[in-house]
Amino acid sequence: MIRNYFKIAWRNIKKNKVYSFINIFGLALGLAVTMIIGLWIVDEFNYNDHFESKDQIAQIMQNQTINGSIETSEGLPLALEFQLRDNFGDAFGYIVMSSRPDERYLSLKDKVISSTGRFMQVDAPDLLELDMIEGTRKGLKETNSILLSETTAQILFGSESPLGKTVVSNNEYTMVVTGIYKDISTNNSFSDMQFIMPFKHWMSTRWGWLENQDSDWSYNPFFIYVKLSKNADLAAVNARIVNLKKDNRPGGDVFNSQLFVFPMTDWYLHSNFENGKPVGGRIENVWLFGIIGLFVLILASINFMNLSTARSEKRALEVGIRKSIGSTRRQLIYQFLSESFLVVLLAFFLAMGFVLVSLPAFNTIAGKDVIFPWSSSLFWMVSLGFIGFTALVSGSYPALYLSSFKPIKVLKGTFKMGKFTALPRKVLVVTQFTVSIALIIGTLIVKDQIDYSKNRPVGINSAQLIQLPTSSQDFSGKYDLIRNAFLSSGSVTKMGWGTSPTTSIWNYSSGYDWDGKPVDFNESFAQMAISFDYIDAVGMKIIEGRSFSRDFATDSNAVVLNKTAVEYMDIKNPVGKYIRRNAAGPNDVPMQIVGVVEDVINESPYEPVSPQMYQFGQGTGGFYYLRLNPNQATGKSLASVEKIFKTNFPNLPFSYDFVDEEYAQTFAAEEQIASLANIFTILAIMISFLGLFGLAAFVAEQRTKEIGVRKILGASVTNLWVMLSKDFIVLVMIAFLIATPLAYYFMSDWIAKFSYRTDISAGIFLIAGFGVLLLTVITVSFQAIKAAVTNPVKSLRTE
Amino acid sequence: MLLELNNIFKWVNQGGKRIYLLSDINLKVEEGEFISIMGPSGSGKSTLLNVIGMLDGFQEGEYNFLGESVHSMKEKNRSKLYKEYIGFVFQAYHLIDELTVYENIETPLLYKNVKSSERKALVADMLDRFNMVGKKDLFPSQLSGGQQQLVGVARALIAKPKLILADEPTGNLNSKQSEEIMQLFKELNQEGVTIIQATHSETNAAYGSRVIHLLDGRRDQQ
Repeated sequence: MIRNYFKIAWRNIKKNKVYSFINIFGLALGLAVTMIIGLWIVDEFNYNDHFESKDQIAQIMQNQTINGSIETSEGLPLALEFQLRDNFGDAFGYIVMSSRPDERYLSLKDKVISSTGRFMQVDAPDLLELDMIEGTRKGLKETNSILLSETTAQILFGSESPLGKTVVSNNEYTMVVTGIYKDISTNNSFSDMQFIMPFKHWMSTRWGWLENQDSDWSYNPFFIYVKLSKNADLAAVNARIVNLKKDNRPGGDVFNSQLFVFPMTDWYLHSNFENGKPVGGRIENVWLFGIIGLFVLILASINFMNLSTARSEKRALEVGIRKSIGSTRRQLIYQFLSESFLVVLLAFFLAMGFVLVSLPAFNTIAGKDVIFPWSSSLFWMVSLGFIGFTALVSGSYPALYLSSFKPIKVLKGTFKMGKFTALPRKVLVVTQFTVSIALIIGTLIVKDQIDYSKNRPVGINSAQLIQLPTSSQDFSGKYDLIRNAFLSSGSVTKMGWGTSPTTSIWNYSSGYDWDGKPVDFNESFAQMAISFDYIDAVGMKIIEGRSFSRDFATDSNAVVLNKTAVEYMDIKNPVGKYIRRNAAGPNDVPMQIVGVVEDVINESPYEPVSPQMYQFGQGTGGFYYLRLNPNQATGKSLASVEKIFKTNFPNLPFSYDFVDEEYAQTFAAEEQIASLANIFTILAIMISFLGLFGLAAFVAEQRTKEIGVRKILGASVTNLWVMLSKDFIVLVMIAFLIATPLAYYFMSDWIAKFSYRTDISAGIFLIAGFGVLLLTVITVSFQAIKAAVTNPVKSLRTE
Repeated sequence: MLLELNNIFKWVNQGGKRIYLLSDINLKVEEGEFISIMGPSGSGKSTLLNVIGMLDGFQEGEYNFLGESVHSMKEKNRSKLYKEYIGFVFQAYHLIDELTVYENIETPLLYKNVKSSERKALVADMLDRFNMVGKKDLFPSQLSGGQQQLVGVARALIAKPKLILADEPTGNLNSKQSEEIMQLFKELNQEGVTIIQATHSETNAAYGSRVIHLLDGRRDQQ
């Protein structure tokens, strides 16, 4: 019997090729989209699965109240470590102090590479479960030791064993290789870690003055990772440590610091904080795509149901015959369900093909390494459930509906699909187009918001501007020398120096006073030190006063503020006024404000600019900013810059970044999401219109006789075209009316999370509405006109 | 007795008025009879056949089939009953387009859950009897009208029914094909199958042992 069902199903598929193609292809497209989204979501949830004790690893973070708003940060003071070790050893298996990821030049004789790594305490290899290829996990005990990842070791040492040999860090510190660990796989928070050096080493080279002050609570640049004890309860640990900083800090804590343990399981998907509370993060994208995937699947299933029921009139006779020769209703239900099962199965295989073909491209766009999970039993189980479920849902309507036909009615030939059968189909079409239009509106608004933020003036001129990192000691004291060399080459028109990249803020500071400062004002300024020429070199705009100048000896103690800082401090006519440093004591010379500049967007292009204080400096670290000669080919300028660089710093690799590319990076995450959403929306629309096309074809076919009669009675092609298209256009318009408020509601919610945001314009809704309407007219007209121009004699004869 | 209809009434309501499709029909059919129902279009021939075939219901009266009262039976049992004892032959043949000759004939056996080997034997016998072995893999659209109706009759016979109901079985056929089909019915009747046919044709009616005339839903006792 089952074989018989499948045989009939297969013949039906073959007999109606166009219809079967639309049905199977549409469903396959929907399944493929859902599958890819599913794989992507699983990959997102598997982030950090590399670590066996993912559930126990955590980071200590703090919430600080600054001017009424709570800021969450991962930087913590040195003294905290000792408090934790001395009093909470039972709660934590490991406590590891760490730097943020940092770049170092590692050299072996003539070979120099730039690598990213961290400076961590001795227990780091145990905490991070490093898989040691050579050496042991105890390799960070000596201050001059270094652990290398397998790849880094291979690049530096080739096939030799590096154990016990030395590499030089930043051309200054000789480190002994004490271990090689297997590269930490991708898709986790530490995947970029190419080396680990001892925390003690970092302390002695960078924070030497702080090293022996284990009671210092005021500097917060350190990260603390912990591994919770096996049975430790997160809430209980949180309750114990929450006031640790506040209670122990001598002289109290004006920021009311609240400590908490942030578990690794939340790092990736729940990393956004607002007012001290976690408010999601990437998890929102997971939801977004989950919903899109579900929508696409629903659209494809609706197509299947619609086309199957639409064709039911053709098969009504078959149902009648089968019933009259003894079929029970149950047997008919099985027959139709097995037919839909076969179609879904075919669609599934086709979808698998689509996924396999498009996965590499998807990985590129999404920045992922998703592979097809051939060996995952979970995948096959879910797929099987999925096939069964889709077959059941999309097949049940025709199965239950068709099998209920009264044989006598269809056999007599008096059976006609009434209003009743058309209504559910219309509801489904409206649902489908509501979803499609809402998706279009959504993606258009996302695109609009990104474009709007991209056009936001960044405050500097990033064209032809490159930045060179200068963290090595070799740069010390060479600024003027190399600046002259660059400028005289003609390849560089301007040059400046600053402590941090233009696309981020590395330092915030507080403890200032000025005339008119309100009593309870806990200020916090973004801070950066810059050279004389920086403002001019990067192209910042001076609103009031002037930039730092070699003509004024006192400028070493001057400040330049950005516009937001002036508003923040609420001072009128700021130029010439003074800012005092609280900590420095009464004899300190106050800093004079010499200029005000237009705001520069250093961080998220969606957020307001922080009040910023530019101080004068010309130390080491930070970046050189070079404006390349616009009248010369970029390649040539870069070659010339590299040559000069190599002459002056023969031991250092030449590396640079284009500032405009760095800015483009800040949009990367949103653009990635936007381009994925675009693709999925286009596919969703394709599926919808495929279904509409099939339905239009069916209706035109069904009304062939009516069209023939009308033509004989004198109807023109236009009359007939309008008659056949009208119904669908009305449905799409209803869908538009439903989709508009829905999309508006959800998208205003979405856009509200950006401080710098565009207004949702009515134009977007009109574009979406008219676009869909136009596509509908084209889709439907094709069938309508085809039917309308058919010779009526022909269509009536075949009846 | 095979079946008995007592005072059958069937009507529909149209614009508040009752329109009688069948009124006060009394009929007794013995096993082995060959009955022809005649009457003009709209006289209720097909309705009566459908009532007898249990495809359609009625509002008043009694219907006994092999001693069981059909009028008080549940749908499920009724369909069991007709599946077992009744075969249909239609004017428009009503073969399933997607199935071959062989499969069309086999389908009723599938619905009766007959075993595969037995099915093969039964269908082979039937094809043999109707001289259609060479055509068993053809689809209905590849056959002439007469051949299609032969398949229709073969399909009605395959489940060994006691009663065959034929609604204008030759309505779409030419005279030669009609004669063949009627001859076939006559042979079947002689083998013991009870046949009730609805027809316009005096010639066809003459093959039967008894003629029932219908006019406006009533038996016309002329």
